[in-house]
Amino acid sequence: MMRLQPRHAVWIVVVTLALIFVFLHSGLDFDYVIPKRIARLTAMLIGGAAIAWSSITFQTLTGNRILTPAIMGYEAVYLLWQALLILFMGSASLVLLGVNGNFVLSVLLMLGYSWGIHRWLFRDGKSNVYFLLLVGFVLTLLISTFTQFVQLKVSPGEFSILQGFSQASFNRAQPLQLLFSGLLVGAVCLLGRKTLPTLDVLSLGRDQAVSLGVDYRRNVRLHLALIAILVAVSTSLLGPTAFMGVFVANITYALARTFRHRVTLPLGGAIATGMFITAQLLVEHVFNYKTTVGILVNLVCGGYFLVLMVRTRGAP
Amino acid sequence: MTARWLWWFAILCGVSLLVGARQLEWGQLLSLSGDAWLTLTASRLPRLAALVLTGVGLAVCGVILQHIVRNKFVEPGTTGGLDAARLGILMSLVLAPGAGAPARMLFALLLSFAAGLIFVLIIRRIQFKGSVLVPVIGLMYGGVLSAIAEFYAYRNNIMQSMQGWLLGDFSRVVQGSYEIIYLILPIVGLTYLYARRFTLLGMGEGMATSLGLNYLAWVALGLLLVAVTVSATVITVGSIPFVGLVIPNLVALRYGDNLRRTLPIVALGGACLLLVCDILGRLLIYPFEVPIGLTAGSVGGVLFLALIIRRYR
Repeated sequence: MMRLQPRHAVWIVVVTLALIFVFLHSGLDFDYVIPKRIARLTAMLIGGAAIAWSSITFQTLTGNRILTPAIMGYEAVYLLWQALLILFMGSASLVLLGVNGNFVLSVLLMLGYSWGIHRWLFRDGKSNVYFLLLVGFVLTLLISTFTQFVQLKVSPGEFSILQGFSQASFNRAQPLQLLFSGLLVGAVCLLGRKTLPTLDVLSLGRDQAVSLGVDYRRNVRLHLALIAILVAVSTSLLGPTAFMGVFVANITYALARTFRHRVTLPLGGAIATGMFITAQLLVEHVFNYKTTVGILVNLVCGGYFLVLMVRTRGAP
Repeated sequence: MTARWLWWFAILCGVSLLVGARQLEWGQLLSLSGDAWLTLTASRLPRLAALVLTGVGLAVCGVILQHIVRNKFVEPGTTGGLDAARLGILMSLVLAPGAGAPARMLFALLLSFAAGLIFVLIIRRIQFKGSVLVPVIGLMYGGVLSAIAEFYAYRNNIMQSMQGWLLGDFSRVVQGSYEIIYLILPIVGLTYLYARRFTLLGMGEGMATSLGLNYLAWVALGLLLVAVTVSATVITVGSIPFVGLVIPNLVALRYGDNLRRTLPIVALGGACLLLVCDILGRLLIYPFEVPIGLTAGSVGGVLFLALIIRRYR
């Protein structure tokens, strides 16, 4: 019999959490309560998988354990796009584009951004990762000022739509959007599954990968595109989750005790989902809705990040 | 060169006095009474004083912090100082609801001082590969502090009023509500008096100690000066990003790092930037006004982006 490893324990814990989440105080109401909760659970599952996958592969590509796409400006670009839509077209944009039209455009925009990142990051082998991180941060600050400016110009109703976009929540997902996102994430996973061994090689670094016969540029481009799609999915589904990715990726490495993507990617997805369920359970049953998932996630994950930086002395 | 800056400064002050929702009747001014005189003394002049002092204070703060941390990318906004001051105000509102502005200021002061000390400790512990990592950590640190504040505010249902004083805004500044800001005056004086020692601090711990400076004591004093300025500005006008970042960098690019020489230029530059942003904010949607937090945030943000892209290209 196999010994129970931490990474298997994670799966058991997550499944238990999910069951608790669906059935706790539900009164076994299969008409309303449970379908609603299952919809939320699905959103968490899709979002968690997207966050874990995008963060871990991004860290593999950049060879750095404190970077995630969320803090590199992807989320800022998404929010800027939403702010511009509301500013120039008002809430009519929601009708005009529909949820899916908006979604497709967001994905395209993020693909463009990740193409820009690609050019910056891998320009003549010189790594400008931290520079890019700073630019991402300044962009985020600028954009949040800009959204406050938009607040002055638009009506309160339109503003509340905008504010909805900028806070993490599991309740906004419509069934159709869930289906759409689920299909996309599923497709990405299927596509990415074949390249998992290549990813393992990429994590050795550029020179090693090239000398082992991997087409470095092509693979990096492919994975950055996948990351853009995943970030778009998770941001439009749940909202911004700034520090979550760093937290999930590093916990995953610690529990998996290996860097093989075949192990880390599914495990990361499970951990992210577990985090979301725990946060939501805490909000619902402990804090009695006196706080939000976004605040809890930022608090725990941001704190963890600082501890990580101090303990590893900035050289993770 | 200082003379040229002084000219610009004087012109901007004049424009700032002239611009406003209410037209001034200059004829009335001579009588030293009436409507125009009231507008001038109760609103325009306090506003000008607050603007100048805030600009000077923020820019000087940025310089002190940059010398303490030895990094060009830090200012109260990127080291958690602003977020800590906000958290302090929030705590004072919850713990002592009846307390006046001085008590709130004290809370803000204590928290932002503590946050500054902790930040310096974290930075000292980490050995850095790149200078860009310092502000990144500072911003994350600030993110955690403001998450604590949000957690607290959400529980006590004061999220919305917190949003109000997150954003720098000078339209609240009238006679009787802004006098705390004059605290910045002695701070700037002290900084100028000790400018040489802060220049030494910027040369690093080893160099400063061997030149006879009590390193830790001076770091603590510098952080205290910064905390006083930050809490005074957050209490009276709210938070204004990027001023402490952009002005010292632009000045250092042109005039170097000798604080005794550059501090007056930094101070004037900070005041001028805020005056420009404020005049812009008052004219953009005249007769209403855009809060200065927004104009300064966007003007400063764009300048800062240009600065880092220039440096790293």
